[in-house]
Amino acid sequence: MKKTLLLWAIFAGLMCLLPLFTSTGTLRIFIFANFLAIFAMSWDILSGYTGYISFGHPFLIDIAGYTTAMLTHHMETPLFLSIPLAVIVTMIAGSLFFFPALRTRGTYFALVTLAFMEVTYGLMQVVKPSLTGGTRGLSGLPLLVTGAIPNYYLSFFAMLLIAIGLWALTRSGLGTALSAIRMDEDAVKSAGLSTSKLKLFAFMISALVAGIGGALYTHYLGSISPRNMFDINFLFTILIAALIGGEQSIVGPILGAYFLTFLLEYLRPYIPGAWRYLLYGVIALVVYYYAPKGLYNIFQAGSNRLEKKIRKNEQYGQTT
Amino acid sequence: MAKLLDVQSFTKKFGGLFAVYDLSFHVDEGESLGLIGPNGSGKTTTFNMIMRELKQDEGEIFFEGKEISKYSTHERVKMGISRTYQIPRPFSEMSVTKNIRVGIMPDEIMRIIAMNSQSHTERKIGKSVGFKAHALAMYPRELSMGDLRRLELARALATNPKLLLLDEVFAGLTVGEIGELSELLKQKRKEGLAFIIVSHDLKTLAPLVDRVVVVNFGQMIADGSFEDVIANKKVKEAYLGK
Repeated sequence: MKKTLLLWAIFAGLMCLLPLFTSTGTLRIFIFANFLAIFAMSWDILSGYTGYISFGHPFLIDIAGYTTAMLTHHMETPLFLSIPLAVIVTMIAGSLFFFPALRTRGTYFALVTLAFMEVTYGLMQVVKPSLTGGTRGLSGLPLLVTGAIPNYYLSFFAMLLIAIGLWALTRSGLGTALSAIRMDEDAVKSAGLSTSKLKLFAFMISALVAGIGGALYTHYLGSISPRNMFDINFLFTILIAALIGGEQSIVGPILGAYFLTFLLEYLRPYIPGAWRYLLYGVIALVVYYYAPKGLYNIFQAGSNRLEKKIRKNEQYGQTT
Repeated sequence: MAKLLDVQSFTKKFGGLFAVYDLSFHVDEGESLGLIGPNGSGKTTTFNMIMRELKQDEGEIFFEGKEISKYSTHERVKMGISRTYQIPRPFSEMSVTKNIRVGIMPDEIMRIIAMNSQSHTERKIGKSVGFKAHALAMYPRELSMGDLRRLELARALATNPKLLLLDEVFAGLTVGEIGELSELLKQKRKEGLAFIIVSHDLKTLAPLVDRVVVVNFGQMIADGSFEDVIANKKVKEAYLGK
């Protein structure tokens, strides 16, 4: 525990120093990576842990994004009010839609959540365009902070606080109970636990994180439009970040988000447009093939081996 | 003695087939009941209905005098009914200790979060069913069938039951393991735990039960002491044919 907290502190320290060494361009990539990490962690706490694969996370992110966008755009609500309100609306509205879906299992749950996203995408463009901005969305939204460095710190600390919170939560008995649902939900019920309660709690936390991420991201971009937010590639980027990094770990999705974002950025000069996605699909497949449990698992296995070696050396040192 | 569990006219139909038909029986407090019958006679279906993993089509179920048909599985477990499965269902990616920990978890999110990760209760329960200290850190894939059955039992005992349903708990075990498990069940009986035991191993079952209910084609054909039901003509026909 102490060792892991120390690692978090080192990570935070290094990331705080980053603006001293990197260009504004690189910082902007980090900002996107931080937001992607938030979204991927939000997916991980629900889908990674309980095994209920959600294809509808952009739906949650958008509820938050649109709520704060509409509040600030039409009613000039200050950000310190509109952002918390957006998070609450995401948790309530998300639960209304997702809770019935949590009664379905496996592929059905995935399809129901995908349907939410697609239906909302369709509705967002035609229902009350005067409110939502229709297909063009809303722009000219107020920004929380301006400039790359303040935005970097904002996104990083939001990500870090969420990560530590989720990490602590999943290392408690809750992580064990949620993982047990993924392995055998009926056996969890037979152990006297209400799986509906546990799943709803996991969902609420997931919606809370998606809501915070969605609202902050909207006020970083200063605009929101259905085409960008409901893009199927956005959904897959979140999913692949979580899977490539290593689901059920919270740390994995952060690794995955950084890896994917930088991969796409560094490929940009060499491979134009959508072809990059094809290549990252290939890279994702290669990672799955050699490390099906994700990058985090490789690091963890390496660190365990190192620890064992050190312990062996210490023992050897003591006996001689 | 007061009735702990009282099942009245349980009926369950799968398609056109009655898996259980008009089955009534009871278990007294601290009593050990054997539930036997040929393959497909409805024993596991009865267990599933007692636990509400299946809903009965007809009939009522009382636990400590209270009708519990509307209660879900986890609520029944909290009331004091627990079970093991015929095919062990451990949480495959968790150690023995963590598997047992799921059993002792309270059904309140905040208390689950506040649970001490270094709790000794699960180790104590694990050792009480016969796990050696080193086996507590092992994963289900590393365990023998005997240990998997022990794990099932430990997880069920962790819920602190008043009535324990054991489904084919001796299947696939060695003679030595059967002996150890029988001793453990005898000890739990002495402590006042009530049982319903489903088993094909009648020789092992005999000393563990106060009474036996025999079912065939989902219906009860005999209810009485072990010696009486074994001598029953209908029971012999059910097992050996006419």
